[in-house]
Formats: sequence, structure tokens, C-alpha cells
Amino acid sequence: MRRIESQIDTNAPDYKANFAAMSARLKEFHTRQHAARFERPQRDNDRLARQNKLGVRERLKLLLDPGTPFLEFSTLAACREYDGAVPGAAVVTGIGIVQGREVAIHANDASVKGGAWYPLTVKKIVRLLDVALENRLPVIHICDSAGGFLPLQHGVFPDRYLGGRVFRNQVKLSQANIPQIAVVGGHCTAGGAYVPTLSDYNIIIEGTGAIFLGGPPLVKAATGEVVGVQELGGAVMHTSVSGTGDYRAATEQHAFSLAREIVSQWKRMPKTIIETAPCEEPYYDPKELYGIIPKDRKTQFDMREVLARIVDGSRFHEYQPDYGTTLVCGFAHIWGYKVGILANNGVLFNDSSLKAAHFMQLCNQNRTPLVFFQNITGYMVGREYEERGIAKDGAKMLMAQGGSVVPKFTVIANASYGAGNYGMCGRAWDARTLFMWPQAEIGVMGADQAANTLADVKIRQLQREGKELTDEEVAAIREPVLERYKRDVEAYTSTSEIWDDGILDPVNTRNALAMSISAALNAPIDDPHYGIFRL
Amino acid sequence: MTISKLLVANRGEIAARVLRTAKARGLETAVLRHASEQEGPAHVIADEVVTIDGPTPVAAYLDIPQIVEVAKRIGADAVHPGYGFLSENAGFVAALEKAGVTFVGPTSDVIDLMGDKVRARAFVEERGFPVAPSAIEDDGPATFIERARAVGYPLLIKPSAGGGGKGMRVVRADAALEAEIEAARREGKRYFGDGRLFVERYIERPRHIEVQVMGDGKGNVVHFWERECSIQRRFQKIIEETPSPALSPEQRLDICETAAGIARAVNYRGAGTVEFIYAQDGAFYFLEMNTRLQVEHPVTEMVTGFDLVAEQLRIAAGEGLSAAQADIPQTGHSIELRICAEDATADFRPSIGNILLLDEPRGEGVRVDSGILDGGKVTTDFDPMLSKLIVHGSDRAQAIARARHAVQNYVILGVTTNTGYLDAILAHPDFASGDVSTGFLAEQADALTAPGENVDDLLMAVAALSDERLVAEVMQISDMHRKMGGWRN
Amino acid sequence: MRRIFQIGGEETECWLAHDGSRFVLNTPEGVLPCRLDPTTSPGGFVLRARGLVRDVRLAAGPEATFVHMDGRTYEVGRVDPAERLAGSDGGASDDRLVAPMPGVVVSVAVKPGDIVAAGQPLLVIESMKLETTLAAPRDGVVAEIPFAAGDSFGLKDVLAQLAPEED
Repeated sequence: MRRIESQIDTNAPDYKANFAAMSARLKEFHTRQHAARFERPQRDNDRLARQNKLGVRERLKLLLDPGTPFLEFSTLAACREYDGAVPGAAVVTGIGIVQGREVAIHANDASVKGGAWYPLTVKKIVRLLDVALENRLPVIHICDSAGGFLPLQHGVFPDRYLGGRVFRNQVKLSQANIPQIAVVGGHCTAGGAYVPTLSDYNIIIEGTGAIFLGGPPLVKAATGEVVGVQELGGAVMHTSVSGTGDYRAATEQHAFSLAREIVSQWKRMPKTIIETAPCEEPYYDPKELYGIIPKDRKTQFDMREVLARIVDGSRFHEYQPDYGTTLVCGFAHIWGYKVGILANNGVLFNDSSLKAAHFMQLCNQNRTPLVFFQNITGYMVGREYEERGIAKDGAKMLMAQGGSVVPKFTVIANASYGAGNYGMCGRAWDARTLFMWPQAEIGVMGADQAANTLADVKIRQLQREGKELTDEEVAAIREPVLERYKRDVEAYTSTSEIWDDGILDPVNTRNALAMSISAALNAPIDDPHYGIFRL
Repeated sequence: MTISKLLVANRGEIAARVLRTAKARGLETAVLRHASEQEGPAHVIADEVVTIDGPTPVAAYLDIPQIVEVAKRIGADAVHPGYGFLSENAGFVAALEKAGVTFVGPTSDVIDLMGDKVRARAFVEERGFPVAPSAIEDDGPATFIERARAVGYPLLIKPSAGGGGKGMRVVRADAALEAEIEAARREGKRYFGDGRLFVERYIERPRHIEVQVMGDGKGNVVHFWERECSIQRRFQKIIEETPSPALSPEQRLDICETAAGIARAVNYRGAGTVEFIYAQDGAFYFLEMNTRLQVEHPVTEMVTGFDLVAEQLRIAAGEGLSAAQADIPQTGHSIELRICAEDATADFRPSIGNILLLDEPRGEGVRVDSGILDGGKVTTDFDPMLSKLIVHGSDRAQAIARARHAVQNYVILGVTTNTGYLDAILAHPDFASGDVSTGFLAEQADALTAPGENVDDLLMAVAALSDERLVAEVMQISDMHRKMGGWRN
Repeated sequence: MRRIFQIGGEETECWLAHDGSRFVLNTPEGVLPCRLDPTTSPGGFVLRARGLVRDVRLAAGPEATFVHMDGRTYEVGRVDPAERLAGSDGGASDDRLVAPMPGVVVSVAVKPGDIVAAGQPLLVIESMKLETTLAAPRDGVVAEIPFAAGDSFGLKDVLAQLAPEED
């Protein structure tokens, strides 16, 4: 497999300008991410200390194998909601390694609003459990929550994919023979009591952990009974009287030691085997991505240059290199795993759509996981293309992509607009993991286009009413719409809403993909089978 | 009369050592063993192992009727007592005699005489041999304190019935004399059931020099030269050597002939050792005579080329000495190290455990008299000495170098031993220059137990990498995850 | 992968990792790449660390690893953090002995004020034709024995109470 030959000149002024712009963006990104993970008001840390609890990051340190990677999801969830007062949506999720095994982690962050469940908290947990189900990953829950955030209960409780879905997913995990452990290091009240009870094993930390359907205040209000936390649902009671608790841990260290011991006796199930090769670092320096990704989202760049800084040895076997050239298709290895890559080098045409559909079928036949690098503003429009059947060709691409049985992984590397998002395996299309780059944008159409369209509607409406507008007046209508749209399509909005599994520093893409692929191989790959291709 | 079957009434390294010579001489051999005792080299060498019983293992080895009965039952015509246990017990000698079994050692009357420190001292002094100025209470209790005063300061108060360094008190000033005498009397009553005392001039910075003697009981006595045993901790010898670096050739002859003279004076039969205190000014004084083979006899064997146990057996069989004085050379230099299961960094607390790995040093001039086997177990049933490491060199420097090399390569794992401490002593400049006294180990205690180079990280690496379960735990992480290390996005 | 090692009375927590090509020991002092290969001698190994090659003899006992290196012998105590933590038990529940089911007291061996040792028999009860001896859960002083020989008791009745531990 030949190495991609890079045409990038690292001394060119464009490269340097891009590098500077991306560096500035990343500085802001890393600062925000660090704050979301680690910075808390002193009074919240003090409260945890008073309660004799360790923080969630310290708990993870005790649980995870030292010296192993942790792929954290949606660190910046809720960064644009709730006045930014709920960093990470008060929960930490991700894929980590415990006793050599890949596990999915769901850990309440009690240093944020007591670990309460906000609507986005629920969404983040449901997403993590979906990842666990799809990839057959065991789950370790670290429970320490004040319960549902009542003022927003309408976003936490009633609907299909809200609170109840957490417990439904737990049932489905268990039904699928995927083990779960819950370490109860705080209160599990009302619905929250189901997390440990639906887990196969649970450990309660003496003094801090408690499980009850109704806490002491609710019990007193309901029946007048006065009873303390420990007697109602503490570690001793549940592990010796009710049998709800499996293990009573004297300390936090003891609890996570027990959890690790439980994991160590799980049978290691064989993983799905796909083609691999000896691993090789990319030939080109991944940091060069900062200079390749244009500082202006509209500027075109060659995705092959991006791939050359991500795949093993920068080697790439391109499929149909001379046909459908706005879509790059080919095979490469990431940390040794063979993958089929689709990457946009322009809008999708008939030929690129057909090429994509065929290529994806090849990958399914060969059990090759698919990796999508999105930089797409849409399918080509215009009479010629419609006559050629671009809608049909787009549909064929969707049939192949949506009907794929191999695991799919998506990186929104720049633009992700309209139906192009669909064809290239956007969120709705079951990518096992989906990440955004910091400067990426996602929306039904670009901000400018959207702002113009909406402003046009308003302007014509006013014209019908007989008003002629000055340039300033037109601008006054357009600008606010534009500003709002620009914000709506930003990566930070997407990540805040959990439309993605996190923003990645581009140099971390390689490891994030490799970890995702490795985790995905815990699930089997079906035989290929598709719906009807409108030919 | 010939000896054809020998019972060794002892254990550990000395039993193995005696058995080796006995076998080489074509004797049938048997050895005792308490039921709770671990298997040792002696049990492997002996033709027959006889189990003995007792409320404690030590009690069994002191049980005269039982041991005599064993000797008779198995048809042993001689018993070798080793050292310690019953080796200086006149009652044992008498019982064996009564049973018609030969005792490999001196006659009971000589054992009795030399076993009573006061009588022995008096005997030796009467015959003009040098003794330290002293005062004996029995000679006149009323005048004891005056006579004690007259001995001169500093003086040492000792219990008459005592031994092993117990109950001894040093008095440097007259003001303390009466109080210390009272205290020593109380201790004597407590430890030995006898409050009688005697007082000796206390020699400052003394050296302990002893002479190996051998007599045929028919008036012929030879000496096998001297040994220096000044390296002692709380009166227990740790390192012994020969020749003594302190003696000039004249002094050596003087002290050895004196010892031979004392042995001749009792018509000594068998192996014995006359111990002297040697003062800084070159004067030496009789301390005591041990009427048995001593622990440190191998250094004598290394420089003279004689097998002292073989000599003992010859004499017991009535064959007499195998050599005249002129035939006994002193060639080169020999050092013995007592390897003990003790933790030198924890006040020499006895150490117990299983011997997980044993690899004794080998090489030119190296001899190991071992009482342990690989896979054996060390308990507190008996004293902590596991083995003796003896080296020989053409001179003292070479002997020290060989001793250091051997003790550094003596691998005993599973029990804490004093090998590091012994090496520290050998490495000390004062030991190398021979400038020591019996106070050396106490004076240099801190220097000798000072920790060495900090290799904690290396030790942890060894402990971690040799822990199969730990390594398996690490290697169960996939290659990729290990290579990624602690990566975070 | 974490272990606590005890050397010369001091404990150090560390963890072992393998970075894909070699082992690395992580201690509070730093990281130490290291490698241990067996030789043909019994218990013999070669240690490569700190840039040097050393001959080592070692033997692992149940609680400690004994090492002979560079002419000196060392003992490295090994503590599995999990095992140590499992021992940490206790709390107010250890002050009382509570009846696991209804029954009758057969005999009482102690009285209030008695000093007892952990494991010492306090009383014998009979239930469902089975006699059980109840022992002190910890060292302590007997505060109360509410029932006497011949008395019946019910489920969860306190059969013996120890005085609270003074800290």
C-alpha cells in the first residue's frame, strides 16, 4: 500500500495562517474542556470532602487500569445550556480499560449540582448505554446523584428516550448478557435506585452510599415515618437485611478494588476478527493538520492530506481514483485495523454517490469497518443532475450506508450540511461514535445561506406590504439572523446538545478512532443485506 | 578398642560435620532428631536417624536417660556430643560409661573441674599459670569487699555459678562497688540460683585469644596453635580467625605452650580449648577451659591441615595422637564467619521462615559447614546459627578478600541472615588492620548496620517483574491500549 | 497493576505497566523502565534497569520476595492493596450480637464488666435444634447480656452488647 504523497508546503503563508487560527481555536477549546473537567467552585469540593466522598475523577483513577487510555465522551455537554452552570451535564461517560477489558463508564459528577439529572444528563447517559448496547461493552456505573432536576422534569422524565430509557437500556444490556456493575458512592433515590438494582453486581460504600425508592423526607411526608438514611437504605441494611446490595465497602478504595476484582473474573469473550496489519505511525506529522484545515470554512482543501496525517504509515489504497473525484474512497489502516474510508473533496455528484454505494458494499462484503470524514455542503443541484437522477443516486448511497452491517465511525471534519450529512453517516445513521473538529459546522444549510433565505422571506413580506428597504434596514434584518445561525451551527452547540460524542483536537482523531474500532469489535458483524436500490 | 558405630548426640552443622569425618573413617553412623525438626544435612549423611522426644526440642537433646538408651538400643559403641547440649555434662559421661558406651571427649573429673569457673581458676593459678587479679568470695566472705577493692579498678563482678556473660557487672569507681556487689548477688540468685560472686580485674579493650589443645589422656598433649575470637556481640562470637594478628611469634609460642601446659596439668584427654584474655600491653590471663570441640575449630583445621574430629575419634579409640608438636604447622590464614538467622537491623532479632533458595559459595579456600538444606525451615526451636563459612588464604589480606567474596555470594533467601553484617565487619578498616578488641562490635554498631546504597526502585522492579500474577494482569491489557498509555482526548 | 512494596519498614505504592515494548515501573519517584530475564541458575535472573545489567537471585515467599543482588540480600514485602482494604471492617455493628432467628439461651459465659477478646465465646443459644456458640466480634468489655440461661428471645433481639470502643 503506497504512501500518500503530500503536496503541503509547511512554509507557505496559507499554511501558517491556518496553523495560527487553529492553534488559537484549540487553546480556547482545551481551556474550556479543562474547566469543564476539573474546575469547580471551592464550596463544591469542600462539600464533597465533608461528605467523605472522592471526586469523580479520583474515583475513575481508582477504577481504571493505570497507564491506559480513556476515551471521554461529550466533555462539553450542556456548555451552552443552563447558563453554563452544569459542566459536562454533571456526568462523565466514556470508554476505559479495567483489568484489560474495555468497559463503558457512566459516572455521576457530584461536584456539579450534586450530580443531579438535567435533561442533557439523561441524554448523555442514554447515549452511553446505547454505545454499550451497540458495541457489547460491559458497563460500570458510579452512582452519586441528587436525583432528577425538578424544575426541568419535563425534559427528564416523560418521553420515550428520557429517564426511563436509562433503565430500559440497562434491562436490554442484561438481556443481551452484557454485565454491569454499580458502585454506589452517594444516594440512589427513586428512579435512581434502579441503576444499582438493575446492575448484575453492586457495591455500596458504607456511610456515603444509599439506595431507596423514597428518601427520609419523602417517607416522612408520605406516611409520617421518621427514619434515617442509613437505616432506610444504607450499606449495612442492604447488604445484610434486604439483600439489595451485594458488597459493602468500608472505603472508596475498597469499593473500587472490589469492582476491579469483579471485572477480573469476567470471562473475556472473543472479539470479532477483522483484517489487521502491524501498526505504523503516520509518516507525516499529525500536527500538520493544524495548517491544512483552512481557517475559513469555505476554503477547499484536499482530504487526502488530512488522511495522510491520520492513517498508519500515511498509506492509502484509493478506490476508483479517477471517477467521482469529489469523494475520496479507499482502504487504510488505523493502529493496524483495516478500514474503508470515505472523505469529501467537494459536493456529491451522481458519480461520487454511485462510487460511495459500491465502495460501501465492498467493505460490507469484506467486513471492513467504515470511517467517514465529512466536509460536505450537499449534493449537486441543477437540471442536468436531476435529469441524471441525482436524487436516486443519493438514495442508493443512503441504502448502502444505512444498510451497512459493519461498524461505522464518523468525523465531522469541516462542513456537514443538509442531506450530505446523511449520506456520510451523520448522527441519525448509527455511527458507533461521531466526533467533531473544533471549527466544524453542522446545520441544514450554511449560516449565510440560511440567513439570506430567512431574510429574503422577511424582505419580500415587507415589500408586499409596500415597504421599500434601505441597505441598512436589510442588513438590520439579516445580521441578527446570521449571528444566531452562526452560533447554531457551531461545533460547541452540537456538542452541548450531544449531537456528537465530543469535540476532538484533530491530532487526537487517530487514537479516538482506534479506540472506537477496538471497542466495536466486541460485537459481531452480521452478513451484508440491503434494502432496495433504486437503480 | 575400635569404634565401629558412632552416635552423634547433636544436630545442625556440627552433627553433619562430625558425621562426615566418621563416614570417611569407615564408621557406621547414627544421629538424633527431634520429631518437629526440619530435615538437615546431618539426616542425609547419617546411616541411621533416631527420633527423640521431649517437651521441647532442646529438652530432648538434654535428656540423658533417653539418649543413653538410644545408644544402647542401636548398638553404638561410641557417642560424640558435638558442642553445647551435653558435651560438658559429667553426668552424661558417667551414664555412658555405666552403659559401656565410649564418650568421645575428656574424663568426667576434668569436665567437672573446668566446668566450675572458680575451681578451674584456682587450679590454674596454683600451678603458676597467669590469671587476672581476682578475689573469690568463698575464700573469706567477711573480707570479700576489701579483697575485691584490692583487685584494683576497673573490675568485673561475676557470678561463681554463671556463664554465657550473664550477671557480669563492670565497676570503675570505688563509690559504686558495694551497690554493684549487692545487685550482682541478686542477679546471681535469680539466674543461677546461687548468689556467690567472684571479682576479677577488668581488662580494658581486651582481645579474646584461645588455644586449641589435644591430649591422649596418657600424658601426651599437643597444641594446634591459637585462634582469635574478639569479634563478639554480647559475648557471642561472630567471627574467628587464626593466626591472631595481635601476636608476635614469641607471644604466640608463649601463649600456646601455656595452654598446652594447663592441659598437661590435668592429663587432658580429647580436644579442648584454653581461653585467655589478652590485654593491650601484651599480658594474657587464663579465662576458662572448654572441655569439648568448639564451634570455631575449622579455622584451626584449615591452617594446620589436620582433621580434629578424626583426632578425637582416634583418641577415643585408644590410638593416641597422630602427630607430634613439631609436625603441626600454621600455614596461611583462616577466617570463620557464623551465619545466623538474625536481623542485624532489628537488634539481631531471630528470624524465622522457609529457606526458599540456598546457594552456598564455592571456590578455592572456601569451606561451608552447613546445618540447613534448600527447602528447609528455620524456627526458634534452636539457636539461630545456620552454618559456618570458613575461608583460607595465603595471608590475612587474601583471607579477608576471600571471606568477603564468599559471604557476598552466599545466597540464603527466605530468612533474614547476618551476611550483610558480616561483610560490613570484614570491610571495616579497623578489622582490616587487625586493630580490634572484644568491644569492637558494640563500639562500631552504628557504622556496621548503616544502610547501603538505596536500591529500592530496583528491588521493587525485581519484586514486580517476578510476580507472575502481576505481570499477567498487566499483559492482559491489549497491545494497542498499552502503547497508547495514559492517553486522554 | 498496583502494588504496595515494603522495604526496610517503609511502604511505597507503585504500578507496573508495559508500553508495548518494555515494562515500566511507576513509583512516586518517577518511571523506571526495567526488564527481568531468567538465567539457568536456580532462582537466577538478569535485571536490566537504570542502564545497568545486574545478576539477581530471587525467591518469592507468600508475603515477600527475597532478593540477592550485588552481594547483598534484601526482603521486599508485597501487599496487594485490595487484600489490605478488604480487612478494613467494623463500625457500630460490632458492638452488638443480634439474634439471627428466634430461640432459647442455653448458657451464658460472661457477665457485664468482663473483658473479652475477639473470638471469645460469650453465650450458647439453641434454635431449630441447632446449638450455636456466639463469640465476641472484637476485643472489648461486656456492657450487657439481656437474656439469661433458659430465656427465649426473638428475631433481631440483642443478645450481647459490648461497651463502645474508646478512640
